[in-house]
Amino acid sequence: MSKFLRTAVAFFIAIAVFAGTWLFMQSGHGTAAAAHAAVPAAAARVVPVDSTRCIAQTEWMRAHHMQLLNQWRHDSVREGNRTHVTRDGRMFDKSLNTCLGCHASNPMFCFMCHQYANVKPTCWNCHISPMESNK
Amino acid sequence: MNQDRRDFIRKAGIGALAGIGAAAGLIPLFALEKTDLSVFSDKPVPGKTRWGMLVDTRKCGEGCTECIVRCHHDHNVPDFGKSKSEVKWIWKSGYEQAFPTASKQFQSSDLAHRKVLTLCNHCAEPPCTRACPTEATFRRWDGIVSMDYHRCIGCRFCMAACPYGSRSFNWQDPRPALKTLSPAYPTRERGVVEKCNFCSERLAKGQLPACVESCPEKALSFGDLNDPKSEIRMMLASNETMQRKPELGTLPSVFYII
Amino acid sequence: MIEKALKGSRGYWAWVALLLVLIGLGISAYARQMSLGLGVTGMGRDISWGVYIAQFTFLVGVAASAVMVVLPYYLHNQKAFSKIVIVGEFLAVSAALMCMLFILADMGKPQRVLNVLLYPSPHSMVFWDVMVLNGYLFINLISGWAVLGAERKGVPPAPWTRPLIYLSIPWAFSIHTVTAFLFAGLPSRHLWLTAVLAPRFLASAFAAGTALLILITFILKRVAAFDAGQEARSKLAVLSAYAGTANFFFLGTEFFTAFYSNVPAHKQSLQYLFFGLEGHAPFVPWMWLSVITGLVSVGVLMAPSLRRQSNWLIAACTGLVLSIWIDKGVGLVIGGFVPSPLEEIVDYMPTATELSVTLGIWAIGLLVLTVLLKTAIAVKTQE
Repeated sequence: MSKFLRTAVAFFIAIAVFAGTWLFMQSGHGTAAAAHAAVPAAAARVVPVDSTRCIAQTEWMRAHHMQLLNQWRHDSVREGNRTHVTRDGRMFDKSLNTCLGCHASNPMFCFMCHQYANVKPTCWNCHISPMESNK
Repeated sequence: MNQDRRDFIRKAGIGALAGIGAAAGLIPLFALEKTDLSVFSDKPVPGKTRWGMLVDTRKCGEGCTECIVRCHHDHNVPDFGKSKSEVKWIWKSGYEQAFPTASKQFQSSDLAHRKVLTLCNHCAEPPCTRACPTEATFRRWDGIVSMDYHRCIGCRFCMAACPYGSRSFNWQDPRPALKTLSPAYPTRERGVVEKCNFCSERLAKGQLPACVESCPEKALSFGDLNDPKSEIRMMLASNETMQRKPELGTLPSVFYII
Repeated sequence: MIEKALKGSRGYWAWVALLLVLIGLGISAYARQMSLGLGVTGMGRDISWGVYIAQFTFLVGVAASAVMVVLPYYLHNQKAFSKIVIVGEFLAVSAALMCMLFILADMGKPQRVLNVLLYPSPHSMVFWDVMVLNGYLFINLISGWAVLGAERKGVPPAPWTRPLIYLSIPWAFSIHTVTAFLFAGLPSRHLWLTAVLAPRFLASAFAAGTALLILITFILKRVAAFDAGQEARSKLAVLSAYAGTANFFFLGTEFFTAFYSNVPAHKQSLQYLFFGLEGHAPFVPWMWLSVITGLVSVGVLMAPSLRRQSNWLIAACTGLVLSIWIDKGVGLVIGGFVPSPLEEIVDYMPTATELSVTLGIWAIGLLVLTVLLKTAIAVKTQE
């Protein structure tokens, strides 16, 4: 009987751990997204976008643009939170097109650096790269 | 139709006001006093809006493909012809194909030959999102059944689950099958499922879906089904309309006047 | 222990070499599929699953059928199954492995497979299927291996193996039930949208799986001089016969409901498979072959005088496996897509690439089974 009980307890613990982990992961997704909430989507259209400077410093962008794009994608596609507000209060639409709005003026902007760093991101498998759109 | 546009402008206006209000809170220059940033949330309230479409099949021109061409061009939908690899977001079906459980006996020849515009129904109870193992397809805050192409694993469960045949898989690289590229919207990659997105990229800018805008006969109406005063709700109240396969309980957001 | 699989006769190595050649063929076909996309298969917009998912469905059944030896041996102390129980467990391991490989082969983006675990979605049956299949593979592998290891050392198996083995019994039922739910929960696919699908899956699995197990014991007797015992075989044959009867009973109820109610949507897929629909009848001869061989085989297995004779037993088991392979491994999945949601009838024909990948996966499964059984038999015969 005690053997059976032990088995039952072990099984119960396994299920509890599984459920707990799952809930933890789910709640993790939720809070991470909520922390990035900012202003209504319409704001990006009406507030004049300041495109004289990038949304962050060049060094930071060089190191983190992939994480930023990933977060932007998650926010705008899955949460409907489309407006990025910079530290100094400027607003941008969370879209790869926002980046390309400036950076596409040099069609090689992405490629040169990626080639130098020998990385092969898959962005341009779907998104139209400045090399193609400027043709 | 004008009414609908006005509706849109009104909504965009409200959005703009809200935006300026929020901006005042965020940009210290505009604000009278300091505000806590966390008060403002860009996250839309889920379930407040439910976008829907009403197709007036009587007005839909025979042989006209304006909406299809425009949609497929704007969204970089590849053209594989009518093959097994076909990809389509919006297309025309026969009346009996679109409404297989509707009465077929002794119908008028007009009805038997009528073509019905078919697209994703953006169901309120979508079977496809239930089947998806990664939530790559999900029902958005505004009722649009959306695709996250970055997350799709290509298992095609959503295709088996969809009762309307509205989903297409990229059986091969779609790029070679595109004559022109629309730079504003991405293409897809081999191995993911795609479908109509109710032009969510245009809605974000306050524009009507491309098919609605391009229809020369103004046969398509678009609006918020949750707003009892929206034009689409008025039209639904004053016309006899149909949904595709209502018996399945999917609650489509696309309605038809026959 | 695995080193025992490295010592074998000429015939053993020839068999392994043949399997390796087939695996190579499969890998090269898969490479082609990976570079060109799933368009190289016969699947398309309307028939969006094909041989891969069909084989997966059949093999989940084979995996689940291990319970037919585990349950009598461990719960009812049927000593006749002492030699065959490990064969059943290892057959389950290789079948579960093949299942997962078939799922992987069917995916458009296999490199993203971990998304299923990164974004767990309990509302999706696929999520549960991945969980239970992986669990089942490891339960059987670990318990089977541990019991075998203990036998080699001549000591009783570790106490933790028993609860694990008990767990494998409900788990076997769960894998095939969840697999049936993959299909049975989809609206508007009327061949699958039936509550009897899960019971029918279990019945056909226990029929075909045990029949396959009987055939494997015959093969082992011949090539490895390892006899699982006549008594074990005849007991399994009875189980197989009753499971087969249940399967055909369930099939009959499907026919009754569809054709007596006369609802077109319920009839169409069955019409397409068994009689032809609007001139499309590619599966009609196959489905009738399946029904007739299945019924005859069940009849033979039912007759004690016939099933005691090895030749009859082999013939009946082969017939039953073939019958259920056609029914489940071909007809059920493809028939479910006809007619399409837009009332179109599209025919499906697998391509050479698709069949090569399928053959390759079967070869991987057989290789794993060969290695595991070789080890098991070496331990059991004290080589």
